[in-house]
Amino acid sequence: MEYHHRLTILEHYIRELPPFPSTIDKVMEICAESNTSPIDLTKVISLDPVLTGKIMQLVNSAYFGLSREIISLVRAVIMLGMNTVKNLVLGATVLNTFGKRQNFRALNMDMFWEHSLGVGVIAKLIAKKRNIDKRLLEGYFIAGLLHDIGKIPLNSKFSNEYMNILDIPGKKPQPLFISEKRLLGVDHTHVGNLIAKKWKLGEEISDAITFHHAPETYQGFQNDILFTVILSDYYANSAQIGFSGNHHMENVWPEALQYLADNADFSFYDIDAFNGEVEQEIEKAQIFLKVAG
Amino acid sequence: MKLRFWGVRGSIAYPGPNTVEFGGNTPCLELRFSEKNRLIIIDAGTGIHPLGNRLVSEDIKDGPIAAEIFITHTHWDHIIGFPFFRPIYIPGTKLNVYGPITFEDDSLEKIIGDLLRYRYFPVLHGELRANIKYFQLGECKMDLGDGIILKTKYLNHPLLCLGYRFEFDGKVLCTAYDTEPFKNIFSTDEKAPDFDPVVRAEGEEAARKENEKLLDFYRDADILIHDCQYTREEYISSKIGWGHSFFEHAIDSAHAANVKKVVLFHHDPLRTDKELMALEKYCRELVNNRWDLKIVVAKEGMEIEL
Repeated sequence: MEYHHRLTILEHYIRELPPFPSTIDKVMEICAESNTSPIDLTKVISLDPVLTGKIMQLVNSAYFGLSREIISLVRAVIMLGMNTVKNLVLGATVLNTFGKRQNFRALNMDMFWEHSLGVGVIAKLIAKKRNIDKRLLEGYFIAGLLHDIGKIPLNSKFSNEYMNILDIPGKKPQPLFISEKRLLGVDHTHVGNLIAKKWKLGEEISDAITFHHAPETYQGFQNDILFTVILSDYYANSAQIGFSGNHHMENVWPEALQYLADNADFSFYDIDAFNGEVEQEIEKAQIFLKVAG
Repeated sequence: MKLRFWGVRGSIAYPGPNTVEFGGNTPCLELRFSEKNRLIIIDAGTGIHPLGNRLVSEDIKDGPIAAEIFITHTHWDHIIGFPFFRPIYIPGTKLNVYGPITFEDDSLEKIIGDLLRYRYFPVLHGELRANIKYFQLGECKMDLGDGIILKTKYLNHPLLCLGYRFEFDGKVLCTAYDTEPFKNIFSTDEKAPDFDPVVRAEGEEAARKENEKLLDFYRDADILIHDCQYTREEYISSKIGWGHSFFEHAIDSAHAANVKKVVLFHHDPLRTDKELMALEKYCRELVNNRWDLKIVVAKEGMEIEL
């Protein structure tokens, strides 16, 4: 299949990207309540990269980039109102019936979700440790949560090819994005960039998605979030928090590490201390999603 | 700028003995820039029907009708009159329709156009003779030509809803309906199981900022047309979160933004003429020469020259 044809298929799919099957039951339950608690609503959204992205899309389109700050889900709910957010979430969930598990044939969906959530949680913890402004922490979380979003369309639309790609690294050690590019002509950072554009995600999040495997080529101004996500991704992989198909994680670009250490009293070893906290956060999310509230 | 109110009622048209004085049609404003020969219509509630009739009987002799319609949001009371706006059936009519979209991502053309489907109406949108173009708006600033500047701001309503600010020749007209004060809806009770201090702080900051942005949007307007569907008692007892304001809030906001005249608008369908007259008196007494703010309750047929 030609590269351009693949891109058309992906672009079409991105328009109706379905939310995660693991969050759907909880979303339905929360949105069906007449007196939904706003905190439950933001929580359930924040556990699903697709829903989070879609809410950001709405907030960003509503505000036409007038405000450069990363808008938090709490802020989105206040600005747009519970109804709009609830309806948007429900709409995204109900209209897309093909958000089923069989669409995750190549990647294990639960493991992928755990990886995404893990990277989000670690990114936020690193930012906290580095004394980043409290109001910006959610942006770090969202960037981490969404960094691999481009894998969803690849995995869903080209699942046979994707299964082959996932097998390759065992034979020849190379990072997943390189195998994607070789076999499909397009990698998940490129697809992620298409999604970020479609959802009008801010530069902070969009650049983390697009450049997390190519920091050395990055010329923008969002180094802080980008490098944090890269380090978090590396850590989640090596600590085996979830799994997103990457058997051969490339090393963290030394300049990124240096940057993070230079700009705050921080070292790579600090992350080890997060391990318990990350596991706890993921466990809390799993309980929230799977146990009727 | 000359403003005329063709519909001032909210929610549903309410003709009857109790609404004779203030009128029963749902929102529609006519804004004329006569020296520029421009016509702007804000909302297409049932009030647009008599407006259309007048355009057809009086304006058309001077040439085809050209107008810009600004829809604040697509709730029924603000669009239901559109199929009954006679100029849409007349060849040569040119309409530019502007408005916000909904969370569903459907286009404005589809949302308005869906009113004209056989299940609801005997004519299809595609059969209309007028030349109608649709434009979706978010928060923005636009030059409408002839020195007319438009600014928009999202309000606080269960559906995305825009306030419109028209600036022309040193005068400013601003609309703020349908809307209610932004507020922190996250738990502030420290004992509540879902209490989170960071979320509370973020929620409060967000609400404060949005309310501040609204005041900036109204700032120094000559006329602010503000939602006043409820009394304070009604609002507090059972209408918080419904997306409408109360009289005192409209007046306080107008004063805080240094507005010259506030027009209280979007009356509850059950609000009687008698009650509205009493409320107007009450509001004027509230201000009682302390502030330099004029207050008027919107009435169908009322005209204001800016």
